[in-house]
Amino acid sequence: MSGVITGGWSFVIAAYSLTGAGFLIYAISLIMRLRETK
Amino acid sequence: MLIASLRKELLLQWRTRSQFMAVFVFGAATLLLFSFGVGPNAEMLRTFSSGFLWLGLLMSSTLTLSESFHGEMENRALEGLLLLPSDPRALYYGKAIANWLQLTLLGCALVPVMVVLYDAGTTQLLKLLLIIALGAAGLSAPGTLYAAMTAQVRAKQTLLPLLLFPLIVPALLASVKATSLVILGDPMQQSRSWIALLGAFDLIYWSLCGLLYGRVVEE
Amino acid sequence: MKTAWIFVVLGVAFLVAGSYLGLFVAPAEEYMGNVQRIMYVHVPTAWNWMLAVLYAFGAAIAFLFTANAKWDARLEAGLEVSTLLAFLLCCQGSIWAKPTWGVWWDWDPRLTSVAVLLFASIGIIALRGFVDDPHRRAVWSAVATIIASVDLPIVYYSVKWWNSLHQQQSSPQTVSSQFHLPLRLNAFGVLFLMIGFIMLRTRVANMNRARETALPPMTEHAGEIA
Repeated sequence: MSGVITGGWSFVIAAYSLTGAGFLIYAISLIMRLRETK
Repeated sequence: MLIASLRKELLLQWRTRSQFMAVFVFGAATLLLFSFGVGPNAEMLRTFSSGFLWLGLLMSSTLTLSESFHGEMENRALEGLLLLPSDPRALYYGKAIANWLQLTLLGCALVPVMVVLYDAGTTQLLKLLLIIALGAAGLSAPGTLYAAMTAQVRAKQTLLPLLLFPLIVPALLASVKATSLVILGDPMQQSRSWIALLGAFDLIYWSLCGLLYGRVVEE
Repeated sequence: MKTAWIFVVLGVAFLVAGSYLGLFVAPAEEYMGNVQRIMYVHVPTAWNWMLAVLYAFGAAIAFLFTANAKWDARLEAGLEVSTLLAFLLCCQGSIWAKPTWGVWWDWDPRLTSVAVLLFASIGIIALRGFVDDPHRRAVWSAVATIIASVDLPIVYYSVKWWNSLHQQQSSPQTVSSQFHLPLRLNAFGVLFLMIGFIMLRTRVANMNRARETALPPMTEHAGEIA
């Protein structure tokens, strides 16, 4: 499927922020769980 | 030992054959509901008839499979069976084969329902039987293993489908495609490859699950 | 646990660097325009997801052979991290598919296999939640993980076959040579992050297990006869 796709920054930002948020939330959950078991 | 185990399973199934009727009605009801879900579009119903048949069989299989370990859970029969001086694998294969036979029978029983509701018939009955048998085998092997596990825990009704459904995706795909080709026509002889995929899946899982069963029921 | 956090920090650093390059420095792709930049995070997540699945599979086999609880802790960590990565992968793939194919899902064999494995791993994590006995929980999750991992290639090939009969779409393209640096940086970024997460999560699992199998605390008058 050819043809130039213009713009699309919103999707790129969405993908990157989702990934970042995912990692951040997981890291926080790990910290919380580590604190709890100490 | 395998023969004895198989005989016991078949005897149990024969004695609870009213249960089979109930599961069949469940399956038929599911097929009926699918047609309501789609609407009275004869063309569409016929096109997707194979998918509906296999989805109906899959849902019904969770009932059959979880029931198959019902007897073992009473009076700690599972432990008792483990004390026998035999390979636990014989018990697994006996149960898996019995489940397989029951699912194949269920599949065949649902075919006329499919023919009537979706106008989806075929003359290649032997091929259809082969596909149903292979697909049922694909459901039965991992299904019996997971049924053994989930019978021993709390949320068994939810866990069995949750574990089984993602696993049998290849078997489902292959069965649906092969059945669809049998019903709708197969100009390029593709059904052979799908049947081969089903066969490979069955081979892998019947060996793997048998191997692992001993660990699942050990104390 | 210092090492684990070093990995995490390193991972974040690499990701920030790689993403910066991927977002602002690398040129836009010919046909896909800027949407192609999603690949700089999607492909590294995909590679590392496969590693995580392999790790969980290895831990499962190791546990069945050694019956050593530390392998169960590693399995638990591997399962959770691979579930996280699979979930992110499905989201990224979906976000990529919308502007490219106009739909949120395009049945790409790779993406679909990930989705199936995502459900499978959620199921195994759920199973763990319902089994109280630690040894049994470990054996069963190891068995289930092996069964699911063996299924992965089968799922991939069957979906590929199934899909090819209907459409001739190309899946997310492999990135051409100009764009290698951000990709590599991000790949290492996610890798380090993942290693750090697995180490930390393993520690949580070990601590939970210790708490579970610990003896009740000694009270003041324990052991006295009268």
